[in-house]
Amino acid sequence: MKKIMVFTVVVALLIPALSFARKAKYEVVEVNNGGGIQGTVKTSLKVKDPVVPINIQPKEDPKETEIERKTCGKTQQAGIYIVSPSNEVKNVLVIVEGVKKGKAAPKTDLTINNNKCRFEPLVSISYVKSNYIVKNSDPLFHNTSLGVLLKDKRRAVYNLALPYQNQEIKKRNRVAGLIDLKCDAHSWMRAYVYSSRHPYVTITDANGNYELKDLLPGKYTVRFWHEGFQEETKEVEVKAGKVSKLDVSFSKTRKPDFLGRL
Amino acid sequence: MEEFRKKCKGVIFIFCFTLLSLVLMSTFQGAEKAYGADKVETGKKVYQKYCIICHGNKGDGKGLVGIIHRVEKSGLVWTLFPRDFTVGVFKFRSTPTGCLPTDEDLLRIVSNGIPRSGMPSHEDVSLEDRKAVIEYIKTFSPRWQEEDPCEEIVSVKKPKWVGSPESIAKGKKVYKKMKCWECHGYEGKGDGPKSDKLKDDWGDKIIPFDFTSGALKRGSSPENVYITFNTGLDGTGMPSYEDSLKEEDRWHLVSYTLKLLGLAE
Ligand code: HEC
Ligand code: HEC
Repeated sequence: MKKIMVFTVVVALLIPALSFARKAKYEVVEVNNGGGIQGTVKTSLKVKDPVVPINIQPKEDPKETEIERKTCGKTQQAGIYIVSPSNEVKNVLVIVEGVKKGKAAPKTDLTINNNKCRFEPLVSISYVKSNYIVKNSDPLFHNTSLGVLLKDKRRAVYNLALPYQNQEIKKRNRVAGLIDLKCDAHSWMRAYVYSSRHPYVTITDANGNYELKDLLPGKYTVRFWHEGFQEETKEVEVKAGKVSKLDVSFSKTRKPDFLGRL
Repeated sequence: MEEFRKKCKGVIFIFCFTLLSLVLMSTFQGAEKAYGADKVETGKKVYQKYCIICHGNKGDGKGLVGIIHRVEKSGLVWTLFPRDFTVGVFKFRSTPTGCLPTDEDLLRIVSNGIPRSGMPSHEDVSLEDRKAVIEYIKTFSPRWQEEDPCEEIVSVKKPKWVGSPESIAKGKKVYKKMKCWECHGYEGKGDGPKSDKLKDDWGDKIIPFDFTSGALKRGSSPENVYITFNTGLDGTGMPSYEDSLKEEDRWHLVSYTLKLLGLAE
């Protein structure tokens, strides 16, 4: 009887304590005999990469208008669909979701460059607690607005003014998730960063290939995200010392948000 | 004796059962309710009385009012909706871009209201109730549980010379160099070359502030102009210049905007 009572009181005290604990943090452990995931992302669709028209409003000083028109160009190749002749898709974010335990994430900083009125790189990875280095290589005003994409909303992460050329701003990455970049001065500019607490995120190369290493054995959900396709998720089991194969084929396109802003 | 023991067991069982269910109930209602329950409960009542009509039952800005402020300018139309608290983005903070506001920031907004947006002042509501409603609006976004608050932007100390003709002249140059005119226009009328394409994070067109008309949303004082371009207004196109300007130039810029606002000679 006493046991039951002690047990109940302990549980009663524990429940609120657990709910108070912040959202489960990532636990860093050593991974010695981990497994990997490897695969190729393709598409069954014939897609065409659009050309984006660029419209620069005249400024008071015609010289400045000229500089901006020259820097940004008249049109830009969107670069949404970079697909190889054998239908392999580049720039797909491959994200292992909800990893609770594993290797430490790298400390590498991510440089985002505003160059010729585009963000470089278009798709990249950043790690929580490392830094964003936001740079302006153009002789004109940019602002870099980072926002984390929640279900159907965007939450501001940073909105930084970069009024002059060769300016560089360093900011700590504090927010995990899929982050979307905009420039309020140039509606066509966009980029995507996956901000991660763990190292199990990667991007497909020109042959649609990706590889993830050193995962603890277990079952995982992998998310394949691309700005121009409906995302896919797949389940996979990782075994010690083995590489699991996981291929995906996109079968539905999606209109990236920035096209609606033009 | 047997009888008594049985009864005892029953009592202990009932005790344990009630304790567990109480704790479970309160936990599933959200941790803050289990502990700061009173304040949030009061806040909810205040919210239902004063705020729900605009900010909505779920805090998503979809109250009965709908569009609340409409601007027509050079053939274009801009609209403003009550704020959606579920995203957890705030414009009028004293903290850097990307941060949550402080309680004082929220209290100031709720007390003074927001000019040019239709959000009324709530000075008539008791201080206690205003503080309670702030705790309640924090329950709409999990961000308040997940994130640590940031430091306020360091103290705002206005130099004496702000508003002097020399400072205004210098500020005009800063305004040019910082490209404020790209959005706010050469004369500060909110009609710069980038102004007609701007959209906020809620997907609505947004109009850069017209310095020559109307009051600042944050409240018209030199200090508030200073805070605005340092913190940026998150969710709008207005970026943070915290990393772009030297302290002295910031105040020259303030001088120039005071001139645009008609608050300096
Ligand atoms: C008549 C409509 C209306 C009422 C009533 C109203 N608000 Fe608002 N509120 C608004 C609008 C519109 C905005 C958005 C202003 C903007 O984004 O410029 C807003 C924005 C806010 C903000 C965000 C400020 C920021 O820094 O971004 C807070 C906080 C807020 N309201 C709290 C309240 C509270 C608390 C009440 C009730 C005591 C209330 N409001 C009542 C219309 C209203
Ligand atoms: C990329 C466009 C953009 C640039 C560049 C820009 N702003 Fe703004 N600014 C805005 C927008 C949009 C608003 C209106 C936000 C709102 O009403 O919610 C605004 C609002 C303001 C406000 C009014 C805040 C209030 O309380 O109502 C001030 C002051 C201001 N900006 C100052 C500046 C200064 C000074 C600069 C240059 C250092 C600057 N802005 C550069 C877009 C911009």
